[in-house]
Amino acid sequence: MTQPTRSAHWQDHASAILSGFLGDWLEHRANPLAVGLQFFHQGVPLCLEQPEADPPRRTLVVMVHGLTELESIWDYPGQPGINYGTQLAELLGATPLCLRYNSGRAIYRNGEALSEALNTLTSHWPVPVENLILVGHSMGGLLIRSACHAGIHAEHGWPSLVDSCVYVGSPHEGSWLAKAAHSAAGLMNRQSRDYLKVVGDVLDLRSEGIRNLSRGELLADQQGMPPLLPGARHFAISGLLANNPDHPLNTLFGDALVLDSSARGAHQPGWQLTATACFPGIDHIRLTHHDKVYQQLKEWLA
Amino acid sequence: MNRTREQSIQWWLGILDVSATGVAEGALRLERVHHAIADESFNILARIPVTRPVSEPVRVAHHGISSLSYRTVAYIATSVQKLSGLQGKPLMRISAESPAA
Repeated sequence: MTQPTRSAHWQDHASAILSGFLGDWLEHRANPLAVGLQFFHQGVPLCLEQPEADPPRRTLVVMVHGLTELESIWDYPGQPGINYGTQLAELLGATPLCLRYNSGRAIYRNGEALSEALNTLTSHWPVPVENLILVGHSMGGLLIRSACHAGIHAEHGWPSLVDSCVYVGSPHEGSWLAKAAHSAAGLMNRQSRDYLKVVGDVLDLRSEGIRNLSRGELLADQQGMPPLLPGARHFAISGLLANNPDHPLNTLFGDALVLDSSARGAHQPGWQLTATACFPGIDHIRLTHHDKVYQQLKEWLA
Repeated sequence: MNRTREQSIQWWLGILDVSATGVAEGALRLERVHHAIADESFNILARIPVTRPVSEPVRVAHHGISSLSYRTVAYIATSVQKLSGLQGKPLMRISAESPAA
């Protein structure tokens, strides 16, 4: 039976939102609002060197939230602590874990930190870890890819344990809103009128994490796009605002923030996704807690 | 999740820091916007023969008074920010490559 977790405090939500917009700056000045990278099990933070789970399983399902979010984004409305992770864990005999991190930091820096954390966690897990299932929403999907790349680069052991990566509404080719903010800031900064330049200045305050979302950047210094983790299965899920897939709203806005083609990485060279699924009528946020999406995950992973 | 008293105090200090920085930086940016918009009007007045002689003195007085107001607000906010005990660093884009980041 899935055990309910303690829900996140409203102050944690506020910190997560501020960290999304200004996370790199908050971290730079050691502001306590900057969210730290932490794993949670049933709402309780895990000590990486002495992780405790009752009972610890050999398969871990790790849920990774997106920009300005907390792990509670995955919970079904009115059911705190019940989410895809706990449901899949029950089905697969796995331990569900949720990640919390400062989503305003550059994705590659969070990727390196996540890789280190996964390395420590899997090394100290009470039983040998045999399978890792990573599920990421929006930026969380990019973070998973970045962590896999960092893990291989650092010769960590955990990437070889990854069975599946699921990207839920992840902007592999950027988000139209982040691109719009980037273009608007550039346009305003080129104006001669000072009052327009100030608008550009304010837009330029957005975090490095948000900037990375304009092109789905995972690596430092635009070093290109790393390939998908070899040996693992990769699944992409996209949503659409309107029920009719051909509706102009879907063409313009996709799931509200990410277009269908970006969520599927349609233009990524050499990508071979195991499967993709599109859910018309389910927007970007509802992709994280919708029964149809869970049924699809169950079909793929169980 | 339950928070300790210390965590809660730290959180509020963080809010104080962000709010004070926002007010200080906001006041200085508002000053730029205010002056830039006012300059549009003063530039027109400077081209009209009747108003030309007084437009520049009025512009100087206007900018002086408004700058004093905005910078007083920014100064007070910066002073309040120091109460948070956090280092005073300007609100600016932090490059991911910055060694301090």
